[in-house]
Amino acid sequence: MIKDITIGQYFPGNSFIHRLDPRAKLIVTFAALVEIFLCKNFLSLALIFIFSVFSILFSKISFKVVLKGLKMIYFLIFFTALLQIFYNEKGNILFEWRKIKITDGGVYTAIFMAVRIISLIFISSLLTYTTSPTTLTDGIERLLSPLKKIKIPVDTLAMMMTIALRFIPTLIEEIDKIMNAQKARGADLDTGGVLKRAKALIPIFIPLFVNSFRRAYELAFAMECRCYNGSNHRTRMKIMKFTWRDIAAFIFIGMMLAAIILLNHFFGAVI
Amino acid sequence: MEKATLIRFSDVSYRYESDNETPLPLALKNINIDIKKGEFVAILGHNGSGKSTLAKLANAILMPESGKIYVNGMDTSDESLEYEIRQTVGVVFQNPDNQIVATIVEEDVAFGPENLGIEPSEIRKRVDEALKAVGMYEYRFHEPHKLSGGQKQRVAIAGIMAMRTDCIILDEPTAMLDPKGRKEVMAAMRKLNKELGIAVVLITHYMEEAVAADRVIVMDSGRIVLDGAPRDVFSNEEIIEKAGLELPESAKLALLLRRSGVNLPSGILTAEEFIEAFKFSVSGGAAK
Repeated sequence: MIKDITIGQYFPGNSFIHRLDPRAKLIVTFAALVEIFLCKNFLSLALIFIFSVFSILFSKISFKVVLKGLKMIYFLIFFTALLQIFYNEKGNILFEWRKIKITDGGVYTAIFMAVRIISLIFISSLLTYTTSPTTLTDGIERLLSPLKKIKIPVDTLAMMMTIALRFIPTLIEEIDKIMNAQKARGADLDTGGVLKRAKALIPIFIPLFVNSFRRAYELAFAMECRCYNGSNHRTRMKIMKFTWRDIAAFIFIGMMLAAIILLNHFFGAVI
Repeated sequence: MEKATLIRFSDVSYRYESDNETPLPLALKNINIDIKKGEFVAILGHNGSGKSTLAKLANAILMPESGKIYVNGMDTSDESLEYEIRQTVGVVFQNPDNQIVATIVEEDVAFGPENLGIEPSEIRKRVDEALKAVGMYEYRFHEPHKLSGGQKQRVAIAGIMAMRTDCIILDEPTAMLDPKGRKEVMAAMRKLNKELGIAVVLITHYMEEAVAADRVIVMDSGRIVLDGAPRDVFSNEEIIEKAGLELPESAKLALLLRRSGVNLPSGILTAEEFIEAFKFSVSGGAAK
């Protein structure tokens, strides 16, 4: 069950998007997310939605994977849309029955919201699908390195993030093992109310915590053996360089921004 | 010419800190060992015999209670030499999951050299060399958690190799592996030792692995009880059994047969040797 989560996974590849510099990718992703929120009508939203779909096609990651990542938030999309349909009272009334009023404005907003959330997920998950977690943290570290001047230990934080990411699959495996071990001793994890189930998780998480501390202790030894001391002048094997690809991506996202502003300006706003 | 000493334990004692008032007994008692450049040493002992403590002492992670440890002439108690010591002696631990830091194989191998502040192009070269040496080059872009135990352990070995250490101490590297993984790790170790001249200290309780070493040290409750060539060490079956260990299978079989009157020479260690000696004994016996 836990293994099905695809958000945050990395799929190695050699596409245009895979080969973008992680710093450029972070900036472009962030810009695209902001642009999604700038959209005011269906034309600009369509533009950014098409952009996100084409980005996925470009990255050569199968659509199935991306849709699988969406599975977890189908409910959220559905719920948001439903709320908009029933509670938004803008525009002409399409349907009325007792206290329930459905307006065309509500329907539009519902569709708008749904497309917006889907675009958000597409773009943000594409970032992690196409960037290895280590490269991603490296990118974040370098983007934030000016903060070192105000004594924020950016490199130590980046190291913590890398280790956290590294141990997610290991800990998931361990949870599976502990769950099976407890089930084998007659623990009942799948029935009962919320409270009962939550209680049943205690014997899963206590051994997990204890083991994690043991792991941390051993890992610290191993890292010390390999000369890590947190603050020394580390170098990196991979050198980051902006290439024509990154410049192209910047120009493209800039043009998108201009187009969205123009579309917002010349065609009326839906929300 | 006598080979230069790489690690010297000089009258070393060590005691772990206890949680309460009463101090724990000594984990190591007056240990004297010289490990030479390019040597392949196996350290044997049952659990709690102090063999893992040796690894942490040689790497300046623990400090001896008394006595001195020198790595390439450097005193491990001198904190300013810590880095150089760890660049000379690397340690691979038992659980491969708990020593891999990065999420991609090659990035993990690069971790050590990165910490040393080496030029990126040089790191690249070292990482590729190290991965090729342990036969994991094709897996360089894989995620560590998707590898088998033996493969993970070989990545860990490559991670130490990339720091260009003169000596690698492996602390029960095969304890958590299946037979296949154990074979892979052993092959990688032998290759490092024979082809690259890196000194290997293998801490283990598998007798079969110790047979491959140039020298075997047997430990029992914090003391060295035997130290010598495998053939000499394993001929002291009483001391070995007293140390809570068992002889290699073939040696044990030969010993039992000899005791029950079969004419076999002493010093048999491997299955091949046993077969040869047994054939000879049977045919010789028939001729008589």
